[in-house]
Amino acid sequence: MAANVLIVGCGRLGAMVATALVDRGDQVTIIDTDAENFRRLAEQPGLSMIVADGTSNEDLRRAGVESANVFISLTAQDTVNALAAQSAQLSFGVDKVVCRINDPVRREMYERLGLRTVSPSQVMTDLVLEALER
Amino acid sequence: MYVIVIGCGKIGYHLTRALLASGNEVVVIERDAHRAETATEEFGSIVVASDGTEPTVLSEAGAKRCDVLISTTGQDATNLVACQVAKWSFDVARVIAVVTDPDHVPLFKTLGVDVAISTTELILSHMEEELTGGGVVHLLPLHGATATVVSVRVPPGSPAIGQELSALATPPGATLAAVIGKDGQPRTISDGLRLEAGDEVLAITPPEQEGELWRALTGGA
Repeated sequence: MAANVLIVGCGRLGAMVATALVDRGDQVTIIDTDAENFRRLAEQPGLSMIVADGTSNEDLRRAGVESANVFISLTAQDTVNALAAQSAQLSFGVDKVVCRINDPVRREMYERLGLRTVSPSQVMTDLVLEALER
Repeated sequence: MYVIVIGCGKIGYHLTRALLASGNEVVVIERDAHRAETATEEFGSIVVASDGTEPTVLSEAGAKRCDVLISTTGQDATNLVACQVAKWSFDVARVIAVVTDPDHVPLFKTLGVDVAISTTELILSHMEEELTGGGVVHLLPLHGATATVVSVRVPPGSPAIGQELSALATPPGATLAAVIGKDGQPRTISDGLRLEAGDEVLAITPPEQEGELWRALTGGA
């Protein structure tokens, strides 16, 4: 079944994830505080781009958080991602929440607190190490 | 006490000064280099020019032995993460956050922030008190309960003055917690206690019974 996804942060990563999910058939809304960042995406069916702040409950509501069943926070700032993701999970009860956290200590802590986290720098490190092995 | 203050903006600066003046050991962490420099001129080496949400920075600042961490930046996200890292990675006993968006207060409390201070709510509650000349002032929502800690001032001419507390028609869901006299001295609640004009009554009440409580204490319609 197609998911209703809300993505916070339209950097390179956010834009790529948004495109991949739209291609998969999901309904995607992506928000960013800077409209300039939407240049990374082409307008297409199944994708809405809204200028909004992921750390504001009011903005999240405006972006449709109440009808989202997947929430992904991918800005470059751990702090913004942590607040946005925990709001989605606890204030709005979104089913599946994924949060980008770069700092390894913070990441371990948030995993312990029940947040699903991803770390691009960790993934890259693993890939680099793997490439060196070959 | 050993206190770590995050953010040396307007709130952090005055807080640091006050904490030092009352004899506490303080470290203040400020990310902005320029602001940190200005603070260093006044406070000296207790200022750390760095990001207080970083575990390594908190570790070097001695978070492990700190009694209280107070995060005072203008960013709710920063204040939340600083408090969470302090609480859950360094076992700081008490973490306090300034909250700009009042919507975030319940979330912060759920997430382990011991005290979440909304500057907006503080100002509003003072305004309510000043402007209405004594309505029901909300002091503290109770976590996990629908009741709120409120305060009501007994105005001159209130029919409650001189009455024993047990004789007042306070609503069944409201619990009177303390009475603070005009002199600022708290008095313990007892059935025989008589109210005086200017007394401030602290009570725990569900929102729907606030009106009834207010009428019982002020005689207002």
